Amino acid sequence: MNEQLIEKITKMVVEKLQSKNLKIVDLPKENEQMAVTLFQETAGENRIPEEKVIPTPLGDVKFFKTTVEEKKPNNILLRTPTKEDKNDDTLAELRKKTPARIAVGRAGSRPKTSTWLQFRFDHAAAVDAVYGEVPQEILNRLGFFQVHSRVMDKEEYIRRPDLGRRLCDESKKIVKDKCKHSPTVQIVASNGLSAKAIEENLEDVFLSLVQSLKNLSIDIGTTFYVDKGRVALMDEIGEILQPEVVIILIGERPGLVSAESLSAYICYKPRIGTIEADRMVVSNIHKGGIPPVEAGAYLGTLIQKILKYEASGVSLVKKEG
Amino acid sequence: MNDSKKKETIISAGIDIGTSTTKLIISRFTIMNTAETTQVPRIEIVDKQVLYKSPIFRTPLLDSSTINVAEVEKIVRSEYAHAGITASQVETGAVIITGETATKHNAREVLHYLANEAGDFLVATAGPDLEGIIAAKGSGAYDYSHRTGKVIANIDIGGGTANIAVYKDRVLLGTCTMHIGGRLIEFHEQKITSISPTVQKLLAENNRVLQIGDSSESPNVNFVVRLMAESLGRIVNNEVHEKDLVLLLGHLPNWTDKIDFLVFSGGISEFIYKHEPGTDQRSDYDDIGKDLAVALLKDEALQSFTWLEPVETVRATVLGAGTQTTEISGATIQVARNELPLKNVPVYHYTFGMNLQNGLENFEEAVKHAINMYDVRREGQNIALYLSELPYMKFRDIQKLAAAIIQVMEKRFDPNLPIVLVVQTDHAKVLGQTLLAMNVKQSVICIDQINVEQGDYLDIGRSLESGVVPVVVKTLTFHSS
Repeated sequence: MNEQLIEKITKMVVEKLQSKNLKIVDLPKENEQMAVTLFQETAGENRIPEEKVIPTPLGDVKFFKTTVEEKKPNNILLRTPTKEDKNDDTLAELRKKTPARIAVGRAGSRPKTSTWLQFRFDHAAAVDAVYGEVPQEILNRLGFFQVHSRVMDKEEYIRRPDLGRRLCDESKKIVKDKCKHSPTVQIVASNGLSAKAIEENLEDVFLSLVQSLKNLSIDIGTTFYVDKGRVALMDEIGEILQPEVVIILIGERPGLVSAESLSAYICYKPRIGTIEADRMVVSNIHKGGIPPVEAGAYLGTLIQKILKYEASGVSLVKKEG
Repeated sequence: MNDSKKKETIISAGIDIGTSTTKLIISRFTIMNTAETTQVPRIEIVDKQVLYKSPIFRTPLLDSSTINVAEVEKIVRSEYAHAGITASQVETGAVIITGETATKHNAREVLHYLANEAGDFLVATAGPDLEGIIAAKGSGAYDYSHRTGKVIANIDIGGGTANIAVYKDRVLLGTCTMHIGGRLIEFHEQKITSISPTVQKLLAENNRVLQIGDSSESPNVNFVVRLMAESLGRIVNNEVHEKDLVLLLGHLPNWTDKIDFLVFSGGISEFIYKHEPGTDQRSDYDDIGKDLAVALLKDEALQSFTWLEPVETVRATVLGAGTQTTEISGATIQVARNELPLKNVPVYHYTFGMNLQNGLENFEEAVKHAINMYDVRREGQNIALYLSELPYMKFRDIQKLAAAIIQVMEKRFDPNLPIVLVVQTDHAKVLGQTLLAMNVKQSVICIDQINVEQGDYLDIGRSLESGVVPVVVKTLTFHSS
């Protein structure tokens, strides 16, 4: 089988498992005391419950139960809790607190099939996020023009972070020509390590941020998109356009919990040679983290504070006292 | 990032004016950002420290139906002086009028007067269910229920009422209030000087007679306290008999779980646990308080439960009022500072059922209905809209929601009142800003990360330095009667 096919099948199986998770089946009365607790409650967006695989004769294609039995919440009222119940409750409590794969059980010395498939799926999503492209349609809709860093392709992007921190010569010219000079706030977007993050979140963060800045009467420059950029790209942009504040909305390095997390890096007067301690970041902007629309609203007031104190990062903390 | 480990403190006061006693507590809350530096701030109360506990005062009365406001205020002012604080320093907390005192004709007036005079943002609270809830938090029962995972009933018995609140893992399962208390029969020099109407009725139902002037040692006194203990035992077991109804105040017990442990708090529990020095004599209060405690200890039904010792006895309610009523809003909110503090706003809960479009279709109708319900006299009573089960929202969804809110707020009898919104999900700032961007003419107070329910009352304090607001939610969930 080729790799694509494997991935497709994995995805199908995982989707099937997830769709079952949504079905809540009333448990017949005699099963009230059933000891099996299926791991339902998880904080992660795309986590799936542990599933019992039913052994079937060879050639039978039906591997999974089609329904997930779930304890009715009011059953709790009827039974006296036993030691194991308490234990299950404790694990469920812990699982609620983290999207990490804790207390997922095991089969012998290996993870359960569904856990393993989920892991493979999440890993594949992470890889896709790095190698994916931002749809042109989103940039068109927001009216961003596109420029490029000095990086040639994704392989070089990963190998040479330094090249991702500079604009190519042609792009420099375009930015200089097309952008408003010396704005109060310059907004920049870049795919960074997750095109998916931009695809999912850029529009909401951007629109909410612009609204917030407008409410505060803060002047905004001409926003553009940099392909394959790094955070410190803001230094060169600072040199070219001389803004008070640069905010770069960039895809985070994807993890196994989320491959579509966006970060906003902000710096007061970034210029070539700016030290890292003067940058600040609001990370974890995605569906399962800070809602993108709320993040944009918060970023506006954060920029207001940076302008007030004329400092960002550690310098801002110092000035605030 | 910014002000990540900066701490802020606020002073909280709790004042409890009970049937027999009045007490006060001053505490200090430490508030800080507990989020990691790269995250949006999360402001929480990280420490609560009791700075001062007042002595137990007798509740000053002018006559049997009037609270002596001047005396109560004098107590509060002199205790503030002892604690070394002034009323203007009190940034949050609650005044609660409990037990029989709540039935005095000037109770409401006293409550609101004190709430205004004794602090910058002090919330007025009353109601038997709320008494039970606050006492359970002050006695430690609420926390025990979390630590043990068991069903725990807190029974706070003071001079006039016994307030029961049942918790499991910090979730309120039900409440019940009974006419059981120390001052229902009072003595002077071993003679009965007063008998409450409830006790009279109770005696009549059992064909017994007790009169003013009878000896305090009369077997009928013992009969009354024994009956109270037995009745309490039945209520706790959820086996209400016809004969218990006379002692019930308001609704029947409304929890369904079997209770595992009991916690007794309030003045009567002091006779059991003796936390306070020098209250060991019946003559101290000259009422049936001590006899009642003895009867509770002897009652078989009550003894069949495990009793847990409260962290506070007579001070449970005041501790709860002073330290357990304040919550802190989410860090990213939008509030019109000049409109705060805002007091006693009823909450209307509207759920979107995870579908914005469907939710918006019925939104206007539902809110209009709520306005008519809460503002019956059309005099401009504001409401707080609690928006729950919103789906994942894009920016354009927020705009749709904001437009719908603006439209529906015009339907209020006084459309110029501030728009008060509580959002279940973390969307308060963007929703508030969107309303402002749409040039809404009213002030906007939009907060999140506060748990409220239909029928609750909301008090919102002034913004703190960290941008959050203290909020007191007065839960009246079980106030169906």
